[in-house]
Amino acid sequence: MSTQASASGSVNEARGRRSAQDVEDSKTHFRVCRFIIETGVKLGMRSVPMATACVLYHRFFQSASLQVYEPYLVAMSAIYLAGKVEEQHLRTRDIINVCHRYFHPESEPMELDGKFWELRDSIVQCELLVLRQLNFQVSFEHPHKYVLHYLLSVRSLLNRHAWSRTPIAETALAVLKDSYHGSVCVRHKPQHLALTSLYLALQTYGVQLPRGELEWWQVVCADITKAQIETIMSELLQLYDMEAKCT
Amino acid sequence: MERDLLRQSVSYHGENLMLLLKCEQSENPDFKRVAADLSKTLNQRDKEEGSPVLEQFIARKADLLFAPSWKTSTPADERQEESGEAHAVMPPLEQFMEVCFEERRELFYRDVERGDVVIGRINSVRDFGLFITLLCTAGGLERDIEDLEIKALCPLRCVPSTGNHDDPLSYYQIGDLLRAGVKGIDRYHEKLTLSLYSSSLPPHLDKVKLGVISKEDLPLHYTRGEKVTADSSQTYEKLLESSLGLSNPLNVDYLLGKLGVSDTQTPSLMRGLQSKHFKEDDFATAIRKKQSVSWALKCVKVGVGHFKSRRYVEAMNEYNKALEIDTNNVEALVARGALYATKGSLMKAIDDFELALENCPTHRNAKKYLCQTLVERGGQLEEEEKLVTAEGLYKRAIVLDNTFQGAAEALEKLQLRIQKSLELKEQEAAKEQEKTKTVETSAEKLRKILKEEKRMKKKRKRSTSSSTSSDTSSTSSDDSSSTSRKKSKKRKHKRRRSSHGSKKHKRRASSCSDKTVDDDIEWFPAPANTSASYIDQKQSISKLISEGEQSWEKSRCEDGRGRLDDAIDRSLENLKHGAQSEASRPGRPDVNGEVTDQHRTQSISECARNRRDSSSTQSEYSQKSDRYSKEFSLQGRKRSESERDDGRKSSGGSLKKDIPSNLLDIFSQIAEFEKEKKLQK
Repeated sequence: MSTQASASGSVNEARGRRSAQDVEDSKTHFRVCRFIIETGVKLGMRSVPMATACVLYHRFFQSASLQVYEPYLVAMSAIYLAGKVEEQHLRTRDIINVCHRYFHPESEPMELDGKFWELRDSIVQCELLVLRQLNFQVSFEHPHKYVLHYLLSVRSLLNRHAWSRTPIAETALAVLKDSYHGSVCVRHKPQHLALTSLYLALQTYGVQLPRGELEWWQVVCADITKAQIETIMSELLQLYDMEAKCT
Repeated sequence: MERDLLRQSVSYHGENLMLLLKCEQSENPDFKRVAADLSKTLNQRDKEEGSPVLEQFIARKADLLFAPSWKTSTPADERQEESGEAHAVMPPLEQFMEVCFEERRELFYRDVERGDVVIGRINSVRDFGLFITLLCTAGGLERDIEDLEIKALCPLRCVPSTGNHDDPLSYYQIGDLLRAGVKGIDRYHEKLTLSLYSSSLPPHLDKVKLGVISKEDLPLHYTRGEKVTADSSQTYEKLLESSLGLSNPLNVDYLLGKLGVSDTQTPSLMRGLQSKHFKEDDFATAIRKKQSVSWALKCVKVGVGHFKSRRYVEAMNEYNKALEIDTNNVEALVARGALYATKGSLMKAIDDFELALENCPTHRNAKKYLCQTLVERGGQLEEEEKLVTAEGLYKRAIVLDNTFQGAAEALEKLQLRIQKSLELKEQEAAKEQEKTKTVETSAEKLRKILKEEKRMKKKRKRSTSSSTSSDTSSTSSDDSSSTSRKKSKKRKHKRRRSSHGSKKHKRRASSCSDKTVDDDIEWFPAPANTSASYIDQKQSISKLISEGEQSWEKSRCEDGRGRLDDAIDRSLENLKHGAQSEASRPGRPDVNGEVTDQHRTQSISECARNRRDSSSTQSEYSQKSDRYSKEFSLQGRKRSESERDDGRKSSGGSLKKDIPSNLLDIFSQIAEFEKEKKLQK
C-alpha cells in the first residue's frame, strides 16, 4: 500500500497542479458514487439499475466539468433516470427523502412546502440535462449477466461440495458492485470486468481449476490476456485504498 | 473464520500472505484462534508468481472474506429447466478448455454422486442387467464425458418391469438411449451402478423420467456441445452472445436466484457499505411513512378548523385528502367520523371510528365518540322498532367504555321495552294464529264445497249401486269431509277411476261450476274448444243440470222407477248434447274418463234395471239420496258459511270468482228439493 501511494503521489507531483485537481476530483467522484450506492440500497434498487446510475454519472462527468454542475444533483437525477431505464421506477419523493436524510441525519422528513417542490423540479430538469449530455444513449451492457453465466460454467468444473463451502459468487459480485465507485466501469468491456472479478474471487480463495489446453478465462474471453486481467485487477483493488482516503 | 478456507488461501499464496495477515488482522480475535493452526501447515506455496496487491487486499479484507456469515447463498435445488431459455445454457467448460482425457476421467469419478442423472447408450443386454456407455450427464453434474467411454451397469433388480410376466430386459435393445440415476459408485475401481427407479433420485428430481428417451430429450448443454465439436469456430463467447437466454432482461434476477444470492442485499467489500451501517429509519419506505403521517396531520388540522367554523364541505375535503395521503390515518378517521356523526350519517361514523380503533386501540377520542354515536344510533333504531340491534349497540358501547352513563341508562330502558314488546308480540301472535286458522278454513271450505258439489252431481246421475258411490267416494277421496262409508266402497272400484283424472276434474270444477258434468258426457272426443266458449257452455249445462234435477225430482216424486232411468237418460242426453261442443281438454286422460264414463253409463243402466228388479235398491237409493241430500244440505250450510266468511274476508278471491251465479241457483234448487222431500215424508 505504501509503495503504491508514494508512486501515485510522485506521479501527481510530476503532473502538477492539474493532477492534484484530478485527484481531488476522483475523490469527489468516489464520494458521490458512494452516495449513489448507499441511496440505491435504501431505495431497494436492484444491482443492475444501480450500476446504470453509476455509469450515467461517470459518463456525464467524462465530458462535463465538476465546477459547473453540482455532482449530488446529477447523482440524484442519474438514480431517477436509471430507475426508468431499467424498469425499476422510483418516486422522486422517495429519492428526495433519502437524500435529505443522508445530508441531514436524524432529521424529520421534509414538509410538502416550496423547498420540496423546487428540489423536485431541479431533479427533473437535471434529468433532461443528463440525457442531452449523453446524447440520449442511456442503455448499457453491464457485466452482471456475464459474471453470472461465467459463474455457472465455472461451477460445473468444481466439485459441488467445494463450491458450496467457498463463497466465490458473493465475492465476485461484491467486487463487481464496488467497482462502480470508480470510472473503471466505463473504461473496460463488461465481459472483461466480469472475468476479472471472477478471477479475483477465485484467486482469493486459492481455488484451483482443472487445466486444459486453455485456461478457463481464455476460453471465456478469447481476446483477453493475463496482463490485462492484472491491470484491471489492480484498478479494482485501488478503489479499496481510495476508501480509506475518502471516507 | 473459516479455517479450511483460510488454509486453502494461505497455502495457495504462500508465506507472504501469512505475514500480511498477521500484520493486518492482529486485532482480530477470530484470526488469532486460527493463526496458530495455519502456521503449522504452511510449507510452500502453490502459486507460481506472487501478487502483492492481491495479497494485501486479502489480508485487509480477511475478516470479511473468511467470515462464516459471508457465505449468504443457499444452494438452490436444481430444477429442470423450463422450455423457455431463462439464461444461456452453455456446454461444459471442460470441452472448451480441452481438458485432457485422464484429468476429465479422474474428475468425473471424483465428483459424481449418488442421485445424479446420466444418459447413455445401451451397448449390451445380459441376463443380469444392462451395460451402458455414458454419453452425458443430465443433472447434478455438467461434464464432457462422451469420449471417456465410461461404462456403467444397470442390474436387473434396478430395471422396473413393464408387465407381470414379461422379461423386463426384453423391453430394451442395444443402441437405445437411456436416462438413469446413479445408484452406486466405486471410486477406487471406477465402477458405476445405475438404476431406472425414481427412488434412486433425490426428491427435487423425482419428476425426471427415467428409462428410454429419444434424441429430443437430450440435455441442451450436450446438444450445444455437439455443435461446438462439429464446428470449431464456435467459441464460448460466440455461443453465449448468440444464445437467446443472454438477451433475456430478467436473466440476472433468475441467475441470482439460481445461485442463491439476494439482489437488493448484494454483499460489498467496502467498509462503509456493510449492512450494519444501514439504519432501518434511513430506508425510503420508513421515511415515506413518517412523512405521510405528518402531511396527513396537517390536512386534518386544517379540516378541523373548517369543522369548527361549520364549513363542513371543506372539512370533509380536507379529511379525504388526508386519508388519500395516508390511508388509515387515525386522526383523520376520528375527525371524519365526528363530522359524519354531526351530519347524521351515523353508520358511516361508526365505521370510521371502528377503523380508527383497529389501528390504534387506545385512542381516547375515538372511544368516546364511538360510544356516543352508538348510543345515538341505538336511539334511532329503537324508534324504528329494531330493538334487538339497538340492544347490541348499547352493549357494545358499554363494553367500550363502561363509565359512559348514557349507554347504561339507555340499555336499561331498552331492555324494559323489549320485555314489553315481547309480551305484546306474544299476544299478537296468538291472535294472528286464530285469524290465520279462520282464513284457512274458509278457503278450504270453498274447495270442499266445490268438490262435494261435483260429487253430488255425479251421484245424482247414477243409480244407487256401488259403482256410483265408488265414483263419488273416489272423487271424495281428497275431501276431508268424506265419510268412511264412501271410502270403503271406493276401495272396490279404485281401479275403475284414475284418481288422476278425477283430481283434474275436480280442479277444473273449481274454475267452473259445472265441469263436474263433463265426466258423464265424455263419450265422444269433443273438439277442442277455447275456454271462452266453454264458459258460455256453462250456462247451457247449468240449465241441463237443472232440467236433469227437475226430471229427477219428478221421478222421485212420482216414485216411478221406470222413469228414473228415463229421466237419467234424458238428462244425460241433454247434457251430452250440451256438452258436445264443450272443451274437452285434450291433455286430459280422456281415455280413462271415457272408459269410466262408459262404465258409469253401463252401471247406471244396470242400476236402473236393478232398481226395477229390487225394491231394496230403491231404499238403498233413498238412503243414498238421503245421504246425498244430507251432504247437499251440509254443503249448503257450508256454502252459506263460506259466503258469510267471504263476506267477512276478501281472501280466497280466486275461488270466489270461480263460482258463478248459476251454481248458486243450483244449490238453492237443491236446498228446495230437500225441503220438499222432507215435507213429503
